[in-house]
Amino acid sequence: MVTYDLRSKKPVPPGGRWSSKRPSETHRSTFSRQTKVKITLISLILIGVGATILLTFFPSEEKRVKKQFHLLAASLSKETGENIFTMDQKLKKIGSFFNEACEIHIPAYALSGRVSREEIIAYATRGRIQFRELLLKFHDFNIAFPKDDEARVQLTARLTGKTATGEAVNEAHEVDSLLAKIEKKWMFIRVEVVEILKK
Amino acid sequence: MAINKRIFKFFFPSLTPAYLIRVGLVALSAYLIFGYLLIPFRIQGTSMEPTYQNGQINFCWKLRYLFSKPRRGDVVVIRLTGQKVTLLKRVIALEHEVIEFHNGKLLINGVEQEEPYLRYPYDWTLPARWVEPDSIYVVGDNRRGPIQNQIFGQTSLKRVLGGPLW
Repeated sequence: MVTYDLRSKKPVPPGGRWSSKRPSETHRSTFSRQTKVKITLISLILIGVGATILLTFFPSEEKRVKKQFHLLAASLSKETGENIFTMDQKLKKIGSFFNEACEIHIPAYALSGRVSREEIIAYATRGRIQFRELLLKFHDFNIAFPKDDEARVQLTARLTGKTATGEAVNEAHEVDSLLAKIEKKWMFIRVEVVEILKK
Repeated sequence: MAINKRIFKFFFPSLTPAYLIRVGLVALSAYLIFGYLLIPFRIQGTSMEPTYQNGQINFCWKLRYLFSKPRRGDVVVIRLTGQKVTLLKRVIALEHEVIEFHNGKLLINGVEQEEPYLRYPYDWTLPARWVEPDSIYVVGDNRRGPIQNQIFGQTSLKRVLGGPLW
């Protein structure tokens, strides 16, 4: 008995319309194209996932350096009504970003010279007290590695917030800094605030 | 019906190669124009009031000083490390000039200057300074408050990114 396809009016092979052992050339090419697309898509997804895993678990040195800056910014920033415990934790953390002795040049605050980690913590404490609210953010990173274990970073630091007396603060400074890799950790060894506008 | 179809096609176009190329070209043009020629920025702060208000949106036209140098009275965009955070200031003195503030009056080479863009009185006093070669002296239009708290001074011409579009 021969069955016919209702649409094409052509005889349907035994076993059904799609079960012929030798598919037509059109079917074969469509099948291979679909497979190719699938393989390409799966490969792309796998490459993407692999790259994400690699970048997450093995970040580049540039990312590690940037992370130090973002952590430092978070530690220096201050929210309204910050409690003593949080303040203490943040200040301890600030010290850990700097080398035992660090060169600091901030002409606007007449601060210049080699200072110890403890002195940096003291400066940060004094500085933070003057603010009720403080937000520090770093932008426009320009990172270079003059040596394997040394990174020179030029960036823009943006400081916004309110002083203890309620005055609004909105400052932007160019910062030129040098970090050294000490015991697998990037630490600040020199920080200089570049004077863009000389009064 | 035809209009409905057009509207539908406008919002849900078929992804033909020609359409994708058009989208790509528009995206590339926008990236080049707004990334390199007309950089959008939002004014944060009151240092240029009343000329520019806090929160206003503007564009930095980077070709403004391609063939010329900033002139006295121009408002310029000054870059720091990059172009994400910039300063908007007015040029009040040019290279080789001597600038001085005396009881709220601007003196250039000892001559008092008219500053029609100022609305608020101020009482700054600053000893005479010589503007170095290839530099300009910039100040904000809002000079209320003590001189110590203001951000102004001499900067290199290389730091001038451009001028605001309006």
